[in-house]
Amino acid sequence: MNSVEGLLTQIRGLSSTASDVLSLQNVLKQADESLHAESTRLLPFLDQLDPSKHSLGYLYFLEACTAGPVTTESASSFVLIIARFISSCVAEQIRLAPDKFISVCKRFKDQVLLLEEPLRGVAPMLTAVRKLQSSTEHLTTLHPEFLLLCLLAKCYKTGLSILEEDIFEVDQPRDLYLYCYYGGMICIGQKCFRKALELLHNVVTAPMSTINAIAVEAYKKYILVSLIHHGQLSTSLPKYASGVAQRNLKSLCLSYMELANSYNNGKIADLETYVQANMEKFGSDNNLGLVKQVVSSIYKRNIQRLTQTYLTLSLQDIANTVQLNSPKEAEMHVLQMIQDGEIYATINQKDGMVRFVEDPELYKTCEMIEHIDLSIQRLMTLSNKLTVMDELISCDPLYLGKAGRERQRFDFDDFDSVPQRFNI
Amino acid sequence: MASSSSRGLTFKLHPLVIVNISDHYTRVKSQLNLPPSLTSTSSAATSNNNNNNSNGGENNQQKPPRVYGCVIGVQRGRTVEIFNSFELIYDPSTRSLDRSFLEKKQELYKKVFPHFYVLGWYSTGSDAQESDMHFHKALMDINESPLYVLLNPAINPAQKDLPVTIYESELHVIDGVPQLIFVRSSYTIETVEAERISVDHVAHLKPSGGSAATQLAAQLTGIHSAIKMLNSRIRVVHQYLVGMQKGDIPCESSLLRQVSSLLRRLPAIESEKFQDDLLMEYNDTLLITYLAMFTNCSSTMNELVDKFNTAYDRHSRRGGRTAFI
Repeated sequence: MNSVEGLLTQIRGLSSTASDVLSLQNVLKQADESLHAESTRLLPFLDQLDPSKHSLGYLYFLEACTAGPVTTESASSFVLIIARFISSCVAEQIRLAPDKFISVCKRFKDQVLLLEEPLRGVAPMLTAVRKLQSSTEHLTTLHPEFLLLCLLAKCYKTGLSILEEDIFEVDQPRDLYLYCYYGGMICIGQKCFRKALELLHNVVTAPMSTINAIAVEAYKKYILVSLIHHGQLSTSLPKYASGVAQRNLKSLCLSYMELANSYNNGKIADLETYVQANMEKFGSDNNLGLVKQVVSSIYKRNIQRLTQTYLTLSLQDIANTVQLNSPKEAEMHVLQMIQDGEIYATINQKDGMVRFVEDPELYKTCEMIEHIDLSIQRLMTLSNKLTVMDELISCDPLYLGKAGRERQRFDFDDFDSVPQRFNI
Repeated sequence: MASSSSRGLTFKLHPLVIVNISDHYTRVKSQLNLPPSLTSTSSAATSNNNNNNSNGGENNQQKPPRVYGCVIGVQRGRTVEIFNSFELIYDPSTRSLDRSFLEKKQELYKKVFPHFYVLGWYSTGSDAQESDMHFHKALMDINESPLYVLLNPAINPAQKDLPVTIYESELHVIDGVPQLIFVRSSYTIETVEAERISVDHVAHLKPSGGSAATQLAAQLTGIHSAIKMLNSRIRVVHQYLVGMQKGDIPCESSLLRQVSSLLRRLPAIESEKFQDDLLMEYNDTLLITYLAMFTNCSSTMNELVDKFNTAYDRHSRRGGRTAFI
């Protein structure tokens, strides 16, 4: 116990200035082993430390306390302690020991899930994410944990607020996959299909050396959301997708590809029979809800196809072409689409005619000017970042080695030895 | 022959004439540089060309070819305005002028420009010569007192004025014999809006063959510096006004009146149609900039992706050929 007491006094003494904190960190690192050895008896000592002033020390103690397996009795008390700690800790101090903080938060998540109250964990986890990330463009390991809690607690709006930020730095690739996958699911829950598609696309095209299960599940959802939002699926992955993904993903999601094929044919009856036949398969992937949305979206797709052929059409004709049951249903569908902004049309109720018109946006207003101006500025920052990354990768020895090897050699006289490795 | 005219006619010359003459001369001169075997077969069957070829063939590059043509325009009272010109076929050695061609051309131009008359003729060279008088006299049956526009094609970087001179003919008694001699007249350059734009455009072409990019960059830099200057001046005025409002600077009503009159000059037009058009054009320009940014960004991204694939993809599909040693 003496060592623990001594440690406590040191923590209290050395937590005031930045240089002191650094020396404290060294002390704590050395004492880490002994702390872990005493983990069961550390709990009362926590009260002697103030989390807002002695964040680093508190963190080490807390991490040692929670290192053991999670039990239901300790879970509730720990949840309170950790939540209080997260809300009052100092960001600079905990950033000195990020992995400890991450493990504490992960324990927190496990405890909250064990108590089956994910809602309690959402707000503290959000604070934790904000304190850990060095800038809003930084993706930490806590982001996917937070999104998981949001998903389980069904509070999608909080999750959406985090998803609005652009990410430029990632700690671990697994974080990115999980973050984008959960993010995609949250967006699907909120019916922002465009953003969901973007996030799922990121998972599918992320660099990966071997195929992983997250990417496969993400690709299944990607196919479904693409059908709902765009009405079509591009059959090949873009060239920035990894070779591994391009070769293997399609073969692992065969039933979904079949679904996309029958969707493209436009016949509702075929689609429905196919869905019925593969019901358990979709159900086991938890995608039934999405599949039902796909089926209902095929009507929209067919109506949209009509806008390209006809200028005016009667509601009865629409109902017949799209295989709906009555003109009333056709009117409901068209009305819904006009409200959502998916087509531009006017319905004349007297004679039941629908007239398709063009996009009424004239691009003459000041709001449009501001909108375009903002977009241009966003593009400029993005372009600057891309140029920086381009320069970085041009100096990468791995790239230079491979690029050098591919240079054409014309004849023996021209053959100057291309450096394969740069030894500076 | 270079005494100044005392006639009192004012001459106005349009840049189009100068451009035409120089273009004619350059064309003929560059066509001459082809090897003789090619010129006879490839050039169009204008005897003008063959004439000049024979001249050129004898004289190599010592004597540059002379080109001839007519100038047309309007004479109103004492003002003679030369608008346009066309080429003529004339052989100074045989002194034969193709009359039928001249008449046909006159008819054609009359149809398009009914007010224009043949005012005279042009040629290239460094100075007016005796032999030119024959051509001059030949034209006298169309216009009783024709003009002679002479362009000096020699490029003299030190020269500030245009190398164009206009001569009139006067009857002088020399050695008891009445003779027609050339006398120099002064002229001014007169431009129409369209001519100003094209001359501006030609003037901005750098002699090193500047590409469109440098021209555009030069123009935009000019606009940019102008706007920058305007911006800094407005800032100075603004700071001054703020200081006056705070009371740091004593109030001067005459300056205030000037500023207020300046502000009242804008906007020049205030109507809904103007707003509409202005916003639409503004939007169009913004959209074009947006598109340009997009293209720029996409191309950077494309290069980045290519480099990334080359560096990190284990089985990258290399489209290029491998070494074949």
